[in-house]
Amino acid sequence: MKFVPPIKLAWLRFTSCSGCQLTLLNNEDSLAELAHVVELHNFPLLSSACGNAEALDVALVEGSLTSPGEVERLLAIRRKSRLLVAVGACALTGGVNAMVKGERHKAMVSIYGKAGAEWDTFPPQPIHHFVKVDGQIPGCPPEPHELLQAIAAILHGGWPSHQVMPVCMECRINENRCLLEEDCAPCLGPITQAGCDALCPGLGVPCEGCRGVVPEANRDELYRLFITAGLSEQEIRHRLERFGAAL
Amino acid sequence: MIRLVVDPLTRVEGHGRVELQLRDGKLVDVTVRLLEAPRLFEALVVGRRCDEVPDLISRICAICSATHKVTALQAIENAMAVKIPPLAAAYRELLLLGGHIQSHALHLFCLILPDLYGTPDIIELLRQKVPLAQAGLDLKAFGNRIQKIAGGRVIHPVNPVFGGIAYQPGHDELEKLAKELLCWQRDWPDFSARLLQLDNYPEASPVIGTAVATGLQDEFALTGDCLWYGNDNVIAASDYAQLFAERPRPDTHAKDATGKAGPFLTGALARDRLATGRNISRNALADHHGIHGNNLAQVKEVGWALHRVGQLLETLLRASRSEPLRTDLAQMQGGIGTAAMEAPRGLLLHHYVIDEWGTIVAADIVTPTALNQRVIAAQIMADLTDEKDHARLREVAERIVRAYDPCISCAVHLVTVENPSSLSDYQ
Repeated sequence: MKFVPPIKLAWLRFTSCSGCQLTLLNNEDSLAELAHVVELHNFPLLSSACGNAEALDVALVEGSLTSPGEVERLLAIRRKSRLLVAVGACALTGGVNAMVKGERHKAMVSIYGKAGAEWDTFPPQPIHHFVKVDGQIPGCPPEPHELLQAIAAILHGGWPSHQVMPVCMECRINENRCLLEEDCAPCLGPITQAGCDALCPGLGVPCEGCRGVVPEANRDELYRLFITAGLSEQEIRHRLERFGAAL
Repeated sequence: MIRLVVDPLTRVEGHGRVELQLRDGKLVDVTVRLLEAPRLFEALVVGRRCDEVPDLISRICAICSATHKVTALQAIENAMAVKIPPLAAAYRELLLLGGHIQSHALHLFCLILPDLYGTPDIIELLRQKVPLAQAGLDLKAFGNRIQKIAGGRVIHPVNPVFGGIAYQPGHDELEKLAKELLCWQRDWPDFSARLLQLDNYPEASPVIGTAVATGLQDEFALTGDCLWYGNDNVIAASDYAQLFAERPRPDTHAKDATGKAGPFLTGALARDRLATGRNISRNALADHHGIHGNNLAQVKEVGWALHRVGQLLETLLRASRSEPLRTDLAQMQGGIGTAAMEAPRGLLLHHYVIDEWGTIVAADIVTPTALNQRVIAAQIMADLTDEKDHARLREVAERIVRAYDPCISCAVHLVTVENPSSLSDYQ
C-alpha cells in the first residue's frame, strides 16, 4: 500500500528511556527533508502541535508496556493506524527493565515507599503481546538510518529488507578480530540479529545482544563456548538476560 | 474553583503534567506531576556484578546516557579505590562534553527555539528555512559526532568500561574533529549572538531556590568531589544524603525531597551563579528573564564546552598510542562509592554499596530534575500570580517547566511519583 505524502505519523512512547525517538532526531541532516513528507501527530518531545487525527498512516511505538493504562493507549492507536511499527529493544522484547527479579510489588515498595504498593503495574511486556505489529526495528538503540529507511520504504509501499544472520557474519565481512575466541570475552555476536555492522565488536567491545536473538540461534553451542572461555553459569545467565536472550 | 491542566507537557523529555488551581480567577496552587512508568533500576542492579551495572544504568535516559554511564563507573571505581589512567579520563571527559553540547543544542534549538519564533516545533522552522534551526541541528550533530568518536555509539556509549576505556579512537578521526571544532569556535560567537537577540521570553520574577553544583574547583569542570551550594557553602559529595535528605518516609507517600538548605536549583543557571560567586567564571550573566536565563546560561556553556573540547583534543592528539587505557584489578573488592557529576540539566549523583565479591548490594541515584521538582512549582506560582488569562497561564507554565530542561525519565527514580490511573478523574 502506497502513501501520498505527507504521511500522518505518530510517535508513541511507553516504558522506555526515549532513546529511540532521540535516535530519529539524531538524523540531523535529514530532518528538513523529513519535514516535507511527514505530518506529526502526537510527538510530545518534538512538537506542541499534538494533532490528534482520527486515522493515522503510521504509528511508531517505543517502549515496553507495564500498566493497563498503557495497554489501553496502545489498543486505541492500533485501531486508528494503518501500520504499526515496534521500535527498539523495549518494544520488541521488554528491554533491560524486564530484568527485575522477584515480586514486582516488593521492588515497587522498596523504591517508591508505600505509594509504590498502590501502583497498578506489571512486568515489562513487548508490544506484540497485545497488538498486531506490522514492522520491527531492533536495537538499543536502533541505528539512526534504520528509522529513516523504514519511513522511506513505507512511503513507497514497502518495508526495508534485512538479512537474517548473526552479528558474527558482519564481523567476518569486516574482518574483525574474534573477541570470543581470542579474548574469551562474553560476546553475544553468534546469536544476535545483525544489522548494526557489528558496531561494538568492531571497536573491541563484546556484543551485548541489543538487537535480539537471531532465528535458529545455536544457544547450546554458545553456552558451551562460554563455559570453555571460563565464564560462570551465573555470568552467562546475566549476560543473556540483558536483552531477553535467556530462555 | 477552576483547575487548568497541561497534559502532556510538550517539548520536554518524558511524561509530565502541570495542574493550576484558580480561585476567583487568581492562581492559588500549582502541582507538577511526573508520570513516568516505573522502571525499577535501583532494584534491577542489585545482585549484579558491578562492572555490568554502568551498561544497564545508562538505559535510565538516552539524552544523558553518557553522563549516567560515566557517573556510575566513577562511583564504582571510587568504591574500589581504582584510579583510571589519565588518557582514559581525558576520553571520558571528551565524551561528556560531546553529550553536553548535544543536549544543550537539542534543548536550545529543538525545544526552545520554536517558542522564540512562536511555532509549535522545529519541523515548522525547517519548513520555513529559518537559518538558526538548521545551524542548531548542525551543532547538535557535532556534539553527537564527539560522542560517537569518544564513546563508540551516540546513545548508550560502549567505550567507557570499568577501570578506564575499552579502546583508543583513531588519530585521523580526532584530527577531523579538531578541524571541525575550529569552524565551530570561529562561528559560535556570531551564531550565539543571533540566538541571544531573540528575547521573546515571558515576563519573569527572580529565580527561586538554593543553587547547588559540583565541579567548581579552581577551574570549572563537569565532575568534582564536593558540592557547592548557596552562598559558598561546601560539603563532600559522599555526604549528599545529609544535604538533600531525600529518603522515602514511612508515614507518607511524599518523600522529603529537600534538606534544610533547600529547595534546590540545579542546572546551567545554578552552575553559572555559583561559578561567578567563586570567581571562576569570567563574565556573569545579566540577571533578567528569571528562570528563562537558564537558556542563556546554556548558550554560555556551549562556548565553554567548545573551548574545553579544543584543549582535550590537543592533549589527545599528542598522546602516545601505547599509553595504558585501563587499570586492571586483580580481584574485585567491596566498598561504598559516590560520584557527583554535572549532567547537562544539573547535578547527578550515583551511590553504590558493593560486597567483597564485587556484587551490588544497594544503589541510590539522585537526578537533576528530582532536585528541581520543588522549585519548578514554586517558580510557576511566583511568575504567574497576577496572570488571569487561561491560555496564557497554560502557555507560560509550560514554558517555565521547559526552561529547566527537565528530564523526566531520569527524575522518576527518587521523587514523589504519581500513579497515572489514580489521576484519570482529572482528564
